[in-house]
Amino acid sequence: MDDKSASTGDRKLSCNDVSKCFQLLESILDGENIPNSQEALKEKLAKCEPCFKHFHLEQAIRDVFKTKCTKKPVPPELEANIRQIIQEKK
Amino acid sequence: MSEVQRKKYTEQEKNNIFGQEFMPNIDSMYNFAYRLTFDEDDAKDLVQDTYLKAFRFINSFEQGTNAKAWLFRILKNSFINDYRKKSKQPAKIDYQEVETYYNSDDVDYTSTTDLRVDAVKDMLGDEISNALNSLAVDFRTVIILCDLEGFTYEEMAKILDIPIGTVRSRLHRARNLLKDQLRSYASTMGYQTDDEE
Repeated sequence: MDDKSASTGDRKLSCNDVSKCFQLLESILDGENIPNSQEALKEKLAKCEPCFKHFHLEQAIRDVFKTKCTKKPVPPELEANIRQIIQEKK
Repeated sequence: MSEVQRKKYTEQEKNNIFGQEFMPNIDSMYNFAYRLTFDEDDAKDLVQDTYLKAFRFINSFEQGTNAKAWLFRILKNSFINDYRKKSKQPAKIDYQEVETYYNSDDVDYTSTTDLRVDAVKDMLGDEISNALNSLAVDFRTVIILCDLEGFTYEEMAKILDIPIGTVRSRLHRARNLLKDQLRSYASTMGYQTDDEE
């Protein structure tokens, strides 16, 4: 499948095997080591509208969690407390 | 920590492992603990207990393996054994817990959500964090480990003592629950959902 179909929106509107495809797409997004994953991904995104939509939504969700989830600063005394207790136990 | 003690480290080696491999993870450990307990004091105690156990059992840590995954497993076990019982959160027994209890690796991938990518991208940090915090702890944990901490399925399976298939299905369920939560935020933000178009 060439890239042209991806840009023209010439994708099939229903996916023949949603369970298998979505599981593959999610594994790829989660960084799992899937053989020939880039080729499989390129083909699915070019050919299948449900796969295309699922992939981009799942990718956006992972991105916002990675970048926007608020973090708590570590209390400044915590590391020193841990080290002190370990010293006392030695 | 059920591993057989493989070798005895010298005092110097122990200090090096502790300082160079364990301590640099304190930021991730504290945030994991806080997201489990929702309480700063409990999170501090949980991290402190975890590091003390890590030092006590340091001989069962194999140098060259993933120290962060090893520490996260101890923290998760400490949370289940010591903190979950006395958690200040009221016990929530809902369909998420029931679903976790009767855990099945069969996942329905056919259910789709009409959440839109542009709505997700416009979410604020607080909304994202609140959506995560709204999940039952077992679902929250897999999202933290996978998306926030970048563990592989195999590492998550070891940390959580569950098969990889269960990691995958639990993650999928967790993300579906997150999408429901994000979708409700999206509608309050004024985004149309596909159903309304």
